[in-house]
Amino acid sequence: MTLRDKKSAALFEFAKYDSSAAEKGGYSNYSYWRSTFQAFLRNKAAVSLLCVLAIILAFTFIQPYLPGQYDPNVINNNPQTGRQLVNIAPSMTTTKVEVPEGTQLYGKAYGDEWYSVSNVIGSINRRTNMNVVEYGEEFCCVEYEDMVGWVMTSYLKLPDDPAAVPYETMSNYKINVYMDPVDMTNSGTELYVKADLISLVDEATGLYETTQEAALRIIPSTDAFWFGTNSIGQDLWSRVWSGTRTSLLIGFAVALTEAFIGIFIGVIWGYVRKLDRLMTEVYNVIDNIPTTIVLILISYILHPSVQTLIIAMCLTGWLGMARFVRNQIVIIRDRDYNLASRCLGTGTFRIIMRNLLPYLVSVIMLRMALAIPGAIGNEVFLTYIGLGLPVSIPSLGNLINEGRQLITSPSLRYQLIFPAIVLSIVTISFYIIGNAFADAADPKNHV
Amino acid sequence: MLKYCLKRLGASVITLVIIISVVFILVRQMPIEGYFDNFDKLDPAVIEATLQKMGLKDPIFVQLKNFFVQLLHGDLGTSVRYRVGAPIMDIILQKAPYSIRLGLSSMALALALGIPLGAAMARSKSKFWDKFGTLFIVFVTAVPSAVYHIFIQMYASEWFDLSMIYRQEDITSWILPVFSMALGNVAYYAMWLRRYMVDEMNRDYVRLARAKGVSNKKLMMTHVFRNAFVPMIQYIPSSILYTIGGSIYIESLYSIPGMGGLLVDVIGRQDNPMVQAIVIMYSCIGIIGLLLGDIMMGVLDPRISFAKKEGAR
Repeated sequence: MTLRDKKSAALFEFAKYDSSAAEKGGYSNYSYWRSTFQAFLRNKAAVSLLCVLAIILAFTFIQPYLPGQYDPNVINNNPQTGRQLVNIAPSMTTTKVEVPEGTQLYGKAYGDEWYSVSNVIGSINRRTNMNVVEYGEEFCCVEYEDMVGWVMTSYLKLPDDPAAVPYETMSNYKINVYMDPVDMTNSGTELYVKADLISLVDEATGLYETTQEAALRIIPSTDAFWFGTNSIGQDLWSRVWSGTRTSLLIGFAVALTEAFIGIFIGVIWGYVRKLDRLMTEVYNVIDNIPTTIVLILISYILHPSVQTLIIAMCLTGWLGMARFVRNQIVIIRDRDYNLASRCLGTGTFRIIMRNLLPYLVSVIMLRMALAIPGAIGNEVFLTYIGLGLPVSIPSLGNLINEGRQLITSPSLRYQLIFPAIVLSIVTISFYIIGNAFADAADPKNHV
Repeated sequence: MLKYCLKRLGASVITLVIIISVVFILVRQMPIEGYFDNFDKLDPAVIEATLQKMGLKDPIFVQLKNFFVQLLHGDLGTSVRYRVGAPIMDIILQKAPYSIRLGLSSMALALALGIPLGAAMARSKSKFWDKFGTLFIVFVTAVPSAVYHIFIQMYASEWFDLSMIYRQEDITSWILPVFSMALGNVAYYAMWLRRYMVDEMNRDYVRLARAKGVSNKKLMMTHVFRNAFVPMIQYIPSSILYTIGGSIYIESLYSIPGMGGLLVDVIGRQDNPMVQAIVIMYSCIGIIGLLLGDIMMGVLDPRISFAKKEGAR
């Protein structure tokens, strides 16, 4: 074999297929959908949000079957006292606290066996911030103002689990101690003492006194409430997930119905020439009404339930979709390939399904993806103005509305912040994923 | 032009008549409790007689006709629960100035913030302002306004030491409501202005101007911005509708004694005639806003006609 032969053999080898070079020449060996997904996967932010959203979605369904979950509608009571566990701050663990020897306690009776100690030397009837003034090995000395305004000090034993209460930051760490169990802002640091350790002092006032060692616990003595509890003692964690489930259900139902009605009417509107003028006039009339007003009116007339909310939102939502589908169909219905199709005797239904609608997939998907956060937002709005779901059906709107009423007390804001965070993650994810997908699926961005 | 205006006006009037009829008929479907102050204590005969007196036993179209006659005399009926026996017109006239002031100042603020933001975004394509603006727009459009309004009220009032609710004598208590209400429109204007400016920047005349040696700043201000601003006009009507939706929420959040807060109030009390009147009022404002917006658009850009407008919203 000569050198010349070798050279020419190399010349006659097949060139390797290079997809990017092929794209420049207008050729591609992949389908539309594959290309769409490739373009979508290139958008890192959208893909990671899609993962987050998928996890949240899956979790809302898995959550009730996890071990140790509370029912979202059950009001949790303290097993010892039978009282509601209201406004318990979020925590991952429960802690147990012992009172140091010699602490003087005054208590009021609750039930037969247990006494709730309403204060530790002196009387604290209100919520009080206690300043730690001194740290010992196992106790800390706290200082607080009593009802009369006197500054009192008392010794509290430190929790066994230091991780739960970060008392290493000794200099200025504040402990919130809510002593009076009657106080509705009670935040979980109730002190309880066994009844037989308390000696009676005054029957008339119902006050008891002990100078003995007593067991103090931080409630709940049940499992920890991860997101805390709300103002009537329901577990916020399970309510948030149950609410997310409801809100997503509303969102998906509205998006699907809107898409269905919108496409159906849009296709008729765009394809049937005789109807166009009439329907455009009707559209101009309906479109002038502020959607918020329609939403309010319909919800006002129907009794609030998940179904009626969905109906109310669908009544206004399909308009935009129908309008859009109509505009696109008017543009592409008379293109040559449709004309050819019609000449060959293709049925109208088939033309619509096979020739027209695939063109609109990207934007239909976009509108559906945006309809979901829109519906969730509308639900929050309707709940706020008093037309939302009853409290027995948790939804993100319900939870946010409940939390909103507590914004004046900073220690209870977690009841607003948790549902708001979940809601923001869900809505932002849908918005960004929808936009990224529409960009990826837009035929203009394809070869 | 005149023909266009008249045609547009006619369409608006027809719309209004249809809306009023529909609202009226729908509200008639509500339970009759909403027409009485103390329904539970009343004798059925008394209820019957009162309904008769109020004309609620007539056929629905007779009622509708009577309602329109009343409306033409400027009478919206009387409140039955909110303020018993008071003419609704008086109540609304008392409340409307607050809503109008709030709405107008928030729209002015939205224009004052949104347009510079959009322009800055278009100028610094994929630099700081563009990224910041995109983040802002995504946040404001994706997260339901009901949520971030609460957070603004909660934290901004703490950080800047402002009042959480509206107080008549205190001008600073306006800041938060006006600002929160403007946010949605700021994002809306910025988004569209950026898009139009970027479109304009790719035009040939811009390239020519640049080749001629026009400075970047001058190019932006005199050529690109001016041309990009004309199509922006068509979004002003839609933003009026946004403002209406926002006012209902903001007013009741900050206890501003306006119409939006009133609507939430009377819905809570199931005062049927009041709900009906306020819903009609808001629809009117929406329609008038759209009408003015469309006419303004026609005046500013004569190429836009009634027929061509279709793709606008």
